[in-house]
Amino acid sequence: MSDDDERGEEYLFKIVIIGDSAVGKSNLLTRYARNEFNPNSKATIGVEFQTQSMVIDGKEVKAQIWDTAGQERFRAVTSAYYRGAVGALVVYDITRSSTFENVGRWLDELNTHSDTTVAKMLIGNKCDLESIRAVSVEEGKSLAESEGLFFMETSALDSTNVKTAFEMVIREIYSNMSRKQLNSDSYKEELSSNRVSLVKNDNEGTKTFSCCSR
Amino acid sequence: MAKKGIPEWLNSSLWSSSPPPPPIDDRLLRNPPATSVTPPIVERPPLSPSPSAISTAPAPPLPARPPSKSEINDLQNGTGNDGAGIDSPAAASSVEDVSRKAQVVAELSKKVIDLKELRKIASQGLPDDAGIRSLVWKLLLGYLSPDRSLWSSELAKKRSQYKQFKEELLMNPSEVTRKMDKSKGGDSNDPKIESPGALSRSEITHEDHPLSLGTTSLWNNFFKDTEVLEQIDRDVMRTHPDMHFFSGDSAVAKANQDALKNVLTIFAKLNPGIRYVQGMNEILAPIYYIFKNDPDKGNAAFAESDAFFCFVELMSGFRDNFCQQLDNSVVGIRYTITRLSLLLKHHDEELWRHLEVTTKINPQFYAFRWITLLLTQEFNFVESLHIWDTLLSDPEGPQETLLRICCAMLILLRRRLLAGDFTSNLKLLQNYPPSNISHMLYVADKLRSK
Repeated sequence: MSDDDERGEEYLFKIVIIGDSAVGKSNLLTRYARNEFNPNSKATIGVEFQTQSMVIDGKEVKAQIWDTAGQERFRAVTSAYYRGAVGALVVYDITRSSTFENVGRWLDELNTHSDTTVAKMLIGNKCDLESIRAVSVEEGKSLAESEGLFFMETSALDSTNVKTAFEMVIREIYSNMSRKQLNSDSYKEELSSNRVSLVKNDNEGTKTFSCCSR
Repeated sequence: MAKKGIPEWLNSSLWSSSPPPPPIDDRLLRNPPATSVTPPIVERPPLSPSPSAISTAPAPPLPARPPSKSEINDLQNGTGNDGAGIDSPAAASSVEDVSRKAQVVAELSKKVIDLKELRKIASQGLPDDAGIRSLVWKLLLGYLSPDRSLWSSELAKKRSQYKQFKEELLMNPSEVTRKMDKSKGGDSNDPKIESPGALSRSEITHEDHPLSLGTTSLWNNFFKDTEVLEQIDRDVMRTHPDMHFFSGDSAVAKANQDALKNVLTIFAKLNPGIRYVQGMNEILAPIYYIFKNDPDKGNAAFAESDAFFCFVELMSGFRDNFCQQLDNSVVGIRYTITRLSLLLKHHDEELWRHLEVTTKINPQFYAFRWITLLLTQEFNFVESLHIWDTLLSDPEGPQETLLRICCAMLILLRRRLLAGDFTSNLKLLQNYPPSNISHMLYVADKLRSK
């Protein structure tokens, strides 16, 4: 009576937000999920969680978005959070170059722990702070290109690009999934390791798909 | 509904508020009418600001009654406030509350305090009167010995030790080497001997210099520290952003932030295996707040050093949760969370099964923060102080007590949780609803293994 609330043909995608401490991960999420911004938000300890829906091709697509702690100490414990993620936002702060330099470590972390192919976007947050910018748009872009990621600069404070960024990742996951569904039979064997829960109910409604970035 | 596997007392009248309509809402469940049963833990009613025997200073630092949500606008609990969580059966219990306060005061005025007795009283919750909690916590954490006659010398010793830590650990390497040279060379290093007008400068040796990578290099360690210091700085700035005491640009807030930074920095340097882990600021904050608001100005002035030692003491019981190397050991955080899970299974298997088997909620997703931060984020500030009274005073120790309270938190939401799916349950547990804390502690106490 309680365990099949997620019935129907809706899609549920798990997305994680990662990046160094205090780059604005939590505020990106609350801006997207609740259109709120808190200039003094506390450090996230462990993990937090929000859901947000959008409609693509007349279908409701639900994103389950996980916001994780930034400090290295938590990485071992947070590995469970990556499980089943099909999308990721890797965030840095454009005013602190160390957070940009650590993007590579976050990508490694993601690759190590994710059990499927993940639609990834690099996010340079706090683009409202142009006057103290430390990482140029070009640097962000070229890193994204070399790593095969989407790229966008955002501001959780003034909302710039926040919705766009999340929706772009969600659309990408969706399109990868639909594409794969069309070919699912032929790809099934080959992609059996790239599994993702396409949640219909909470049981193993598992389908296979692969997604490439772009 | 099968109630198998649920202990007898869960079905007692306490749970189903006895008057006719059975409760549909957890809130009702958690607020048994005061008339139906006599709750062993009495609600904290408004206290008349009676003169304290400990101190006669005015202005109690804390609201002398359960805070309404508007008083402490806690971010975690600010949403979905039902307002029903904290009302108190005022008049009836105020007598008991006053008498409990009298008990504490009487115990504290003994020449040698009976810690066992004090624990018993404190575990029922301490009055929010200024000064009492500050003193009791110091005793419970072993910072003050039960023998009053030793207090002044003990405090003097500790406070001067802290001053020394500050001098040794909060200086940059130039200052350290300069100081070492001074003590080594004695008078020969007297700046007066140097050529007049030249600024005294510290010698850069071959063993140590700003570009040294040696592990014993003060400079290398100094730069490694910078990362930690920045992290501490960022987190201290966002400690209780809703409280003027901690947050904002006022001189008071700045001074308090500096004190928190000092304590965390010194702790990090003295504990290189753990250093600073995000969230330690949240554990330090209540201790420092209580000490700083001690109406005894002499104590308040040393809030920083007293808080340091009490923080160290408290952390000694919990430090393993912060240690990444121990994550997979039997003392690390993962195992602690597993113990919570086992405790729930033991007391309420139906709920355990629903959470972990049916809805597949990994307890790490909510209990990690509950446990590492000692419940400071799940309730408003004043409520967490009351929880800490129990945590610190329970003879079984803070960790066991904490796990029992966490287990009670789950059981108290059982109806909602049993009706919920993964998403709604996890949201509920990550944003724990406003609750009757006394009742929660009462339920936790019932979970004690015989």
